[in-house]
Amino acid sequence: MSDKSNPHIVQSPPEESFCAGCDSCEIICALAHGEAVSPARRRLFVRRDIRTMYHTVFTCRHCDDHPCYNACPKKGAAMRLDGCIAYIDDAECVGCGACARACPYDPPRVNYDRERKLARKCDLCRTREGGPACVEWCPVRCLSLLEIASEVE
Amino acid sequence: MSETTNSYGYVGKIARINLTTRTVTEIPTSRYVPENIGGRGVCNRIFWDEMRPGIAAFDPENMIIYMTGPTTATGIPTGGRGVFTGISPNSYPEQYAWSGIGGSVGAELKFAGWDGFIVEGRADAFTYIYINNGEITFRDAEPLRGLLVHDTQRAIAELHGGEVQSFVIGPAGENLMRNATITTSNDNVAAKSGFGAVFGAKNLKAIAVRGTGDVSAADIPKLFELRRRMGSPSMRKNPLVRELTHGMDGNEIPVEGGWLRGQVSCSHGCNQHCNRLMLDMKSAFGDGRVNQVEKCVGIFAYGFQEDCSWTPIQNYETERNHFLACKMLSREEPEPDTDDPHFDALFTKVRGDILNFWKPDFDKGSVMMDMCNEYGIDKWDVIVWFFTWLSMAKSEGLLDNLDFGMEVDVESEEFVRYFIEMIAYRRGEYGRIFGEGMARAIRILGKEQYGDALYHGRVSQVTGERLDLPVSLETAWGHSYHWQGRGFEGTINKPGWVATSLELMNSTRDAQTVAHHHDKYENYLQFKDDPCRSPLLVDGVILSENKAEIKDSVTCCDWQSPDLYWDSLEAEMFAAATGIPMTTEELNRAAERSRLLFRAILIRDFGRTRDMEVAAIFPTMRYPDASGETVEWDEWNDLVDIYYTKRGYDLTTGFPTRETFERVGLPDVAERLYPAEVEP
Ligand code: SF4
Ligand code: SF4
Repeated sequence: MSDKSNPHIVQSPPEESFCAGCDSCEIICALAHGEAVSPARRRLFVRRDIRTMYHTVFTCRHCDDHPCYNACPKKGAAMRLDGCIAYIDDAECVGCGACARACPYDPPRVNYDRERKLARKCDLCRTREGGPACVEWCPVRCLSLLEIASEVE
Repeated sequence: MSETTNSYGYVGKIARINLTTRTVTEIPTSRYVPENIGGRGVCNRIFWDEMRPGIAAFDPENMIIYMTGPTTATGIPTGGRGVFTGISPNSYPEQYAWSGIGGSVGAELKFAGWDGFIVEGRADAFTYIYINNGEITFRDAEPLRGLLVHDTQRAIAELHGGEVQSFVIGPAGENLMRNATITTSNDNVAAKSGFGAVFGAKNLKAIAVRGTGDVSAADIPKLFELRRRMGSPSMRKNPLVRELTHGMDGNEIPVEGGWLRGQVSCSHGCNQHCNRLMLDMKSAFGDGRVNQVEKCVGIFAYGFQEDCSWTPIQNYETERNHFLACKMLSREEPEPDTDDPHFDALFTKVRGDILNFWKPDFDKGSVMMDMCNEYGIDKWDVIVWFFTWLSMAKSEGLLDNLDFGMEVDVESEEFVRYFIEMIAYRRGEYGRIFGEGMARAIRILGKEQYGDALYHGRVSQVTGERLDLPVSLETAWGHSYHWQGRGFEGTINKPGWVATSLELMNSTRDAQTVAHHHDKYENYLQFKDDPCRSPLLVDGVILSENKAEIKDSVTCCDWQSPDLYWDSLEAEMFAAATGIPMTTEELNRAAERSRLLFRAILIRDFGRTRDMEVAAIFPTMRYPDASGETVEWDEWNDLVDIYYTKRGYDLTTGFPTRETFERVGLPDVAERLYPAEVEP
């Protein structure tokens, strides 16, 4: 696994803006991709802490060595590359889940629905005019696109 | 479960879950919608269709109905709210009531393919229900018995994964404490109707839900437009703020080192964050610190010397000055328009009565909140009723013959802990009595002596005079005063409190949590001198009542609706969710249907008449408001006449006429209610 990630979505520290735990980002993400709202269709993940109410948003780091891409049996067709963004072509995806299993993070940043054989991952809204939809629509502006490549802790 | 939704907004089915037989059956949602919209509208129809007189809140035959709305989980803001209904153990007498709740369970339920559920019967062993997409199973809840609310939530997450959403009860619900809540994430509760105790009576600890299906709104561009426009201005950063004081208007406390305030939203997909998160607060359990949500009444746990002040803008609005309640606790109110000719009148604050219930104490307040959260008890009644009564009754010397096992001292954290624990676990004689809720406890003790005795410590800041109040802040239907001219949030003036009292009279519980009274200031100017004889005031009451019905059905939030200058808001939300064209007038008709079903239920099952409801509310308005005003019998009855006439009710009985039912398309209800061709 490479220790470098590429531009990706980050959550602000709470002193700057505290996540309200509204799930709007997950919802908007699905809608921005022309899909229904569903936990199976989000490409970022709001994890709630029921007790502290500090909610954490897990996002794809767009790793330099893209293990998800490498693991795809149909790479180049189902999993594709656009610069440093690995993205899924729904029409070609066979729903094997190899990409999700290959993601080194916990939780995996590829959303895989085993039952429906559906894999979804963040593409940084690469074809969307205004850029990442989650950033634009977070009601408390606590998501942003970290433009520079960074070391992963 | 199906890959796609079978219609926009709704996901197509309602689960009937029978705890006695441990069976689940499906009801198509289309049986009830779009006619009954969703949420409370559907609950009312189901209850009317299926129930009968003679059932008590804790009987297995009582049903708890939970419904989402067509906007839930679609991304239309505030649609994440849902509604429980059933026979309320907290209403006095027991009656059909409702209770709204936020959180994410409603959305998760729709992802699981269900628009709502009906829980009936009683489990023969302690049970929780697990809804995993289309599969609904009955699980052993013995390992969860006695757990506090957050421990229950944590245990369920351990059993079913961190994505699971749940409705749970705490020890108060298990012990059938009549103020018990149902709790979900971010400390959201269904509190006022005591449905947590109905869960307890059904041997039901929790309902856990996991869903991965789809929910679609019909009109996505409109959805985005609503997200942009509702609650605007929005979209700004939400930093944690270190506050140096807590409380307001006579209850301020300097907090050493400050306290940390965050803001969180209450429900799935909301675009606001009205709930105040108080971080790193004193916990009631162990030495730990806790983060807890405070909204509205919680502020008074920390200090209650002076009542809440009232500013007319809270109820009366002009085109140039109106803002949403959701901006209040996040301190995001827009700058007022000072060029408004009514600016001074709208923004002149009227300070609340001096009540001297308890002094500010930050840690004690936090402990009180934490205990309510963890035991699953309605904070409202604990703060506004139990403890105010203890304070007033003590200072009037009424408690000398009651031995609670500890000296009553509302200023002492030790006593606060002792008393809340006593009622949550119903310990000892007084735990059993107060576990019945204040309305019943006062009657068991003797209402004349322990409820109606006067408290001599209230001083109005409007007149400077002493104006005595009863020691038990009871208004109608076993609830305590709320924006009613006396008691808690009592500072609103007479045109305001006759309206809110009328809203309560027609209800079975505190109506000001979802029917917060709103009207235009231009109307107020016309009725302010003789409010009880004003058809215009009644129009405002009907508007607030109908909007409440709509909010709980579409669903949308009381803190963003209504906007008197965007009347079609809720109809636009409904149409965007379902793709079904909807006008404000049609939605209003649906609200009237829902209200008529509610009234038909009260008449059929709970003996509701004009005499009954006037008798319930009238005495509570005989105590002076902050200006020394009360209402006279004739005045009140004139107002009721105007209201009944406008609603289409018989003036003698208070029953809706046949024509009234027929006008909104409910001839079947009239037929069942008045079978013998006898006019009401
Ligand atoms: S950048 Fe786009 S694809 Fe990635 S999480 Fe945000 S909305 Fe989803
Ligand atoms: S939209 Fe923003 S505030 Fe809401 S859950 Fe996502 S990151 Fe948190």
